[in-house]
Amino acid sequence: MDLHTLGIADLRRGLRSKEFSATELTQAMLGRIEALDPKIHSYLEVTKDSALSQAKEVDAAIQAGAYDDLGILAGIPVALKDNLNLKGTHTTCASRMLESYVSPYTATCVQNMLDQGAIVLGKLNMDEFAFGGSTESSAFGPTRNPWDTDRVPGGSSGGSAASVAAGLATVTLGSDTGGSIRQPGSFCGVVGVKPTYGVVSRYGVVAFASSLDQVGPLARSVEDAAIALNAISGRDPLDCTSQHIDTDFTANLAEGVKGMRIGVIPEFMEGEGMDDEVRDKLNEVMNELKNMGAEIVEIELPNVHASLSAYYVLGPCEAFSNLARFDSVRYGYRDPGHKDLNGQYEASRSVGFGPEVRRRVMLGSYLLSSGVYDTYYYPAQQIRTLITQDYVRAYEKCDCILMPTSPYTAFKLGEVKDPTAMYLSDTFTIPINIAGNGGMNVPVGLGNDSHLPIGAQLICPAFKDENMFRAAAALETVYGSACVAPDFEKAGA
Amino acid sequence: MTEYLTEKDVRDIAAYTSIGLTDEEIPQMTKDLNNTIEMLKPITEYDLEGVEPTFHPIGSLSNVMREDVEVQGFTQEQALENAPAQQDGYFLIPSILGGGDQ
Repeated sequence: MDLHTLGIADLRRGLRSKEFSATELTQAMLGRIEALDPKIHSYLEVTKDSALSQAKEVDAAIQAGAYDDLGILAGIPVALKDNLNLKGTHTTCASRMLESYVSPYTATCVQNMLDQGAIVLGKLNMDEFAFGGSTESSAFGPTRNPWDTDRVPGGSSGGSAASVAAGLATVTLGSDTGGSIRQPGSFCGVVGVKPTYGVVSRYGVVAFASSLDQVGPLARSVEDAAIALNAISGRDPLDCTSQHIDTDFTANLAEGVKGMRIGVIPEFMEGEGMDDEVRDKLNEVMNELKNMGAEIVEIELPNVHASLSAYYVLGPCEAFSNLARFDSVRYGYRDPGHKDLNGQYEASRSVGFGPEVRRRVMLGSYLLSSGVYDTYYYPAQQIRTLITQDYVRAYEKCDCILMPTSPYTAFKLGEVKDPTAMYLSDTFTIPINIAGNGGMNVPVGLGNDSHLPIGAQLICPAFKDENMFRAAAALETVYGSACVAPDFEKAGA
Repeated sequence: MTEYLTEKDVRDIAAYTSIGLTDEEIPQMTKDLNNTIEMLKPITEYDLEGVEPTFHPIGSLSNVMREDVEVQGFTQEQALENAPAQQDGYFLIPSILGGGDQ
C-alpha cells in the first residue's frame, strides 16, 4: 500500500483497524526518506531512533484498544522546519552559526504536536535563518523541487513544502514572516497555511521578525492542514502574543462557498505584476468560486503597494535585533584561536552568517540608526497602520480575499541571483504579514505554459481563519487534493 | 542610482554589527545595500501626517500576571550545554582586559 500518499483521516482509520501498525508506517516513511530524499535534500536531520520508539508507544496503545485516547495526530508522520526547537535535535536554521547547536528544550507548537501523538521524522531544510524565497541560501546546500529537480522549492520553508510534495512526510510545520509557508506551498503544489498572528505560539521558534513571524502547517489536503492547526494553535503562557483559540478549523470544510463573499482586486485579476498563466489561473479560480455560489466582490487595497518597502524596513530591523544574540559565547559558532573578544565576535559572525544574513543584519542596523530611523523605520510603522486599515475596510464587504500566492511558478536553481529581485517574489504574500491577517496557499493545478504547480492565495480577517479554510475546501472539490509529485521518483539524483 | 551608503559607511556598520568583512567584500555589500535602500523609497514619499504607528499587529495588549509560584527554569548544566567553551560553571571568553592570554 502507498502509505505515503494517504492523508491523516485514512492513516488514522488504517492504524485503528490494524491494517498497518505505526511502526510499519514509520518504517515505510523512513525508507522513502533514505531512498528518495537525496534527490531533493529536504531533510537536514532524520530522527530515526526517536521516531521508531514513538511508533512503538502508539502501537502499544493500539494493541490495548486505546488508540483514540492518544490524540488527533496519533501515529501521523510529521517533520519540522529546522528553526523549530525539539529537545535533543539539532536546530540549525540552516546556518553554520548553529551547525552544532542541540536544542535543550522544545517549542510549544512542536510539543503540542507531540502531545497529540505525532511521530517526528526529522528536521527540514530552509533558507538560512528564514531569509529568502528559494532555500538556496541554506548553508547545507539547496533543496530541490520534486516537480522538477532543476527548480527551487521556494522558501524559506522549502524543505517543509518539498517533503510533503514528495511524500516524505504527511504534514510538516513551517514558519512564515513574509510568505515563507505560502510561496513554497505554491511552488511545490501543496496547501500551506500562515495563520493569523497570535493563533500559534512562537515560543521555541528561532525569531526572525517577532512582530511578523507565525508558524503554520503544510499538507497535501485542506483537511490535514486544518487538523494540524487544531493541534498547534492556542494560548501559551510562554508567548504573551498567543491568543485563546477555541476554533475547530475543520468544522466548516464541507459547507461550500454558497453565500460567501469573496473579495478580488481588479488590477490583480487583470494580471498586474504576474505571469500570464498565473493571471489566467486566478480568473479561472474566481469563476469556479462564483459557479459554486460565492458572491464575487470587487475591493481595493490602496496602500498595499507600499507593503514590500515597509516589509524590507521592518523585517531587517527586527532581524538585526534578534540576531544580536549570536555572540559566540553562550551557544553558536565560535571562530577558534582569538585572543580578544571583539575579534572573536567579528570572525565568528562573519564565518557563521551567510551573505543574505549579513545583508539583512547590516541593513537593519543602518535603518535603526539615528536620523535614518525617522526616514524609514517610524514611517514604515505608520504605513503598517494604513495597510491594516485597508484590510479592515475591505473585510466590511467580504469574508475572504482571493489573490495569487506568487507572481510566477518555481524558477530554476541559480536563476534569481540579485537579492533585490528575489525580494519581489513575495509581493503578494508580504502584505498579509504586515497586517497580521491569516493567509493560505491552495494548489489549483498546473500552469498552461510551465506545467508547474500554481497556487491561489486565500486571505481572511484576523482570527477568522475558518473563512479561508472553508473557501479552500470548496476549491479542493474542484481541483482535488494535492498529489505526490508524479515523476519525482524517476528523476536522477 | 542614489548612493545612500559609501564604502566607509558600510565598514562602520560592519564594525557596529560585529560582522567582519574583508576589503574585497565591501564593494559588493555597498552595492547590495544601496540597491535595497533604493527599493524602500515609496516609504519616504507617503504623506503620513497624523497617522499613528502600529508597532505590533496585536494592539491593546495588557500585562498578564501569573501566579507568583516557583517554576523550574534551565539548570546551570543545561544553560551551558551549547557553550563553545566553559570553565567551572561559567561561559569562557578571551580576556577582555589587558590583551593577555585566557
